[in-house]
Amino acid sequence: MTAPLLKVTDLHTHFETRAGTVKAVDGVSFHLNRGEVLGLVGESGSGKSITGFSIIGLIDKPGRITHGSITIEGRELVGLGDGLRHVRGREISMVFQDPMMTLNPVLTILDQMTMALRAHESISDADARIRCVEALRQVRIVDPEQKIDFYPHEFSGGMRQRVAIAIALLHRPKVIIADEPTTALDVSVQAEILVEVKALVAELGISLIWISHDLATVASISNRIAVMRYGKIVETGPAAEVLGAPAHPYTRMLLDALPSRSRPGQLLGLDAGDKQASEMRIAHRPVQSQSGFVTVKHAVKRFEWPTSFCSRLGTRMNLVKPRSAVLAVNDVTFSIARGEALGLVGESGSGKSTLGRMVCGIYHPTEGDIKIDGASVISTGQQGRKLTTRVQMIFQDPFASLDPRRTVGQSIAEGPVAHGLTTRAGARGYVAKWLEAVSLDPAVADRYPHQFSGGQRQRIAIARALAMRPDVIVCDEPVASLDVSIQAQILNLLLTLRNELGLTLLFISHDLSVVRHLCDRIVVMYRGRIVEEGPAESIFETPKQPYTRMLLDAIPRLASEEPVLEEA
Amino acid sequence: MTAFIVHRIWQALLVMLVMSILVFAGVFLIGNPVDVLISPDATQEIRQQVIAQYGLDLPIWQQYLHFMTSLLQGDFGRSFVYNMPVSELVASRFPATMELATIAVLLASVIGIPLGVYAGYRPDGWPSKIIMAVSILGFSVPTFWIGLMMIVVFAVEIGIMPAGGRGDVVSIFGMPWSFLTIDGLHHLVLPAVNLSLFKMAMMIRLAASGTREIMLTDTIKFARAAGISELTILRRHVLRLISIPLVTVFGLELGSTIAFAVVTETIFSWPGLGKLIIDSITSLDRPVMVAYLMLVSLLFITINLAVDLAYAVLDPRMRQRGGK
Repeated sequence: MTAPLLKVTDLHTHFETRAGTVKAVDGVSFHLNRGEVLGLVGESGSGKSITGFSIIGLIDKPGRITHGSITIEGRELVGLGDGLRHVRGREISMVFQDPMMTLNPVLTILDQMTMALRAHESISDADARIRCVEALRQVRIVDPEQKIDFYPHEFSGGMRQRVAIAIALLHRPKVIIADEPTTALDVSVQAEILVEVKALVAELGISLIWISHDLATVASISNRIAVMRYGKIVETGPAAEVLGAPAHPYTRMLLDALPSRSRPGQLLGLDAGDKQASEMRIAHRPVQSQSGFVTVKHAVKRFEWPTSFCSRLGTRMNLVKPRSAVLAVNDVTFSIARGEALGLVGESGSGKSTLGRMVCGIYHPTEGDIKIDGASVISTGQQGRKLTTRVQMIFQDPFASLDPRRTVGQSIAEGPVAHGLTTRAGARGYVAKWLEAVSLDPAVADRYPHQFSGGQRQRIAIARALAMRPDVIVCDEPVASLDVSIQAQILNLLLTLRNELGLTLLFISHDLSVVRHLCDRIVVMYRGRIVEEGPAESIFETPKQPYTRMLLDAIPRLASEEPVLEEA
Repeated sequence: MTAFIVHRIWQALLVMLVMSILVFAGVFLIGNPVDVLISPDATQEIRQQVIAQYGLDLPIWQQYLHFMTSLLQGDFGRSFVYNMPVSELVASRFPATMELATIAVLLASVIGIPLGVYAGYRPDGWPSKIIMAVSILGFSVPTFWIGLMMIVVFAVEIGIMPAGGRGDVVSIFGMPWSFLTIDGLHHLVLPAVNLSLFKMAMMIRLAASGTREIMLTDTIKFARAAGISELTILRRHVLRLISIPLVTVFGLELGSTIAFAVVTETIFSWPGLGKLIIDSITSLDRPVMVAYLMLVSLLFITINLAVDLAYAVLDPRMRQRGGK
């Protein structure tokens, strides 16, 4: 076999900070062959992204490569300084996570692509346009002649990521580094992009480094996988081998933390002995017969633009077209039995979050009514107030939902004190009790949200919701921004709490495997309507609607067989 | 877009109407111009005659209606002091302030923005630290003191600059302009620089913080990953992205500079609107005050509209929101 295309040897990237040296990348070595896809997997803080940025020479200050070598076709890249600019985009290019953030919102696609073209060659405007249209067509953008004059906000997320890939491909680079390129996208879009990237790699003979926290997507695209932890590669090998027979305990732990690999309702990431114990406990799930505990009848939510006198006048004079209202939730009816966990699944824009907020009494339904135990959640009228504390909510981003200037104890105590569940004097003990319930040390009540990790913050958010003694908890993507191992802990916590407290859950997620793991019944939403509803088992095994089937097919799976892409 | 402009013009008319009431009532409260206009030893008869002549004996709402009807006919009334139509008076002073303010704000932008972008691009270098330190001085040292110092140094000690006045003027559309003659420009330099210092400091800080923020975004990282040169990144990406807040400040500053260039105009005896309004306040020249205040509010409304339209040009997302 010929020498590898890209070779990284004993790479150390350190960040000198006031608090000491952070060894983000600490002695990483790997190689990349021609036409190969290498998956770089790890949780946040493992140094996988910094490894990618080190290769392309774009480490944020104060980080720098202190030791090691990176060669492409035998040429050394470390220490090249500004010379690296001529390598970037032409020989190695990069695709980032969030295409909304990477494309400049005030420039047209053509402008941005032309700029990238002119970085390495001089080309006339007319030729540049032809090249760019061709590049867009290559990433399967429909009607590229017109689309090229669009601005980024006129594209959907998947389209924007395609544009970013097109820009990365402009100069036919030898290596593309893709840093979490599909993490911000819906599953169905992710599936399309994965297929297209695979095809492009095969067609153009490009080598790819695919950086992701998601083992399943990495498994579906990579020939080889390297698992990173604490700045080091703990395991590397052919994808099938690493995932089929992981040698390192960390890899095994990551795999065990995946909900898709364990039986629904089981606690995640435990050894076999513990699993039995947990199943015993789960089996004791209190069977509640009261169906229709939470009822949603013909709920509609329309978001309308406020109309002023002038705009009405303008409309009448035919100067303006009235802005169309957004129908986020369109005539939705379902119910949840007491003690049941209902999964609400859909892609972005399906109205699932809006529906969740209506159930929680945050949004007022435009039409229809929402009741818990026969009582309305919200008073009538468009400016209705929430009437009950029996339903609480956990949001996706606990950092945004906790007040950064209050201690977590204050945040947790606020609601219960206001509603007389505890007194101001007794608040400390009350808070301590709920912090213990989510397995946190009660002493942390005096700390501020920024002093916690993402998983801990989500525990605090759960404690805050529980402290209101709700019967129903609406969870809006509570594990979407967490690492797999942390996600497993939070899912375990929710499973345990649900059994201990007899909670009714409305669990909103785009991640079908998580929903399947936690929920008894599933509702699938698409464009504001419910397309399918049924027990979790049957939705997964025998989906009736094509949309549900498509969603299920789009989930990248951990196959133990060879990945689809064979080495050429 | 049309709807947006129609909407804004409608709003502007409303604001102008409210403004006219406020201005009229406010000016009415300041004092009685009769005391200033007529010598104290005039007979009661003459007093009554003058009061009747200016319509000051009517109730305030009648005076207001009278004022509005003549205003709608394009007549701002006659100055009590200069005894000439207010519109002529303002027209003779307006160009002086206009050119002074415009040049000051342009100067502030042309020098301030590049300095600010540089300071934001290399925040740790010593040139940036000097730029930022000097910009704080620009904020904190009073304009009038710098103006006086400039006169002392450049006009008195070195003697290369004139200390005041407009110099030679050229008449275009019946209005006198200084910036078209060498001598006029020569006279314009010191007051314009003086007036621009504060705004320059503001532009520098705004551009620097905007640039710093944008340099850390993924947009810039992605551009760098495509191998685009730093100069192109600054010129095409950064400048476009920071232009939106800058345009806002530019607009507001242009308005406030035109309206409140009083201090600089006084120090450099620049015969602009600022001096006119101060004079008219001390002599209770009501028609001039009212006309000036109305002109200033019209100016602000126009500039704000222009800024909003500039947004639409600069940010495609705004265009969509406003309806096409």
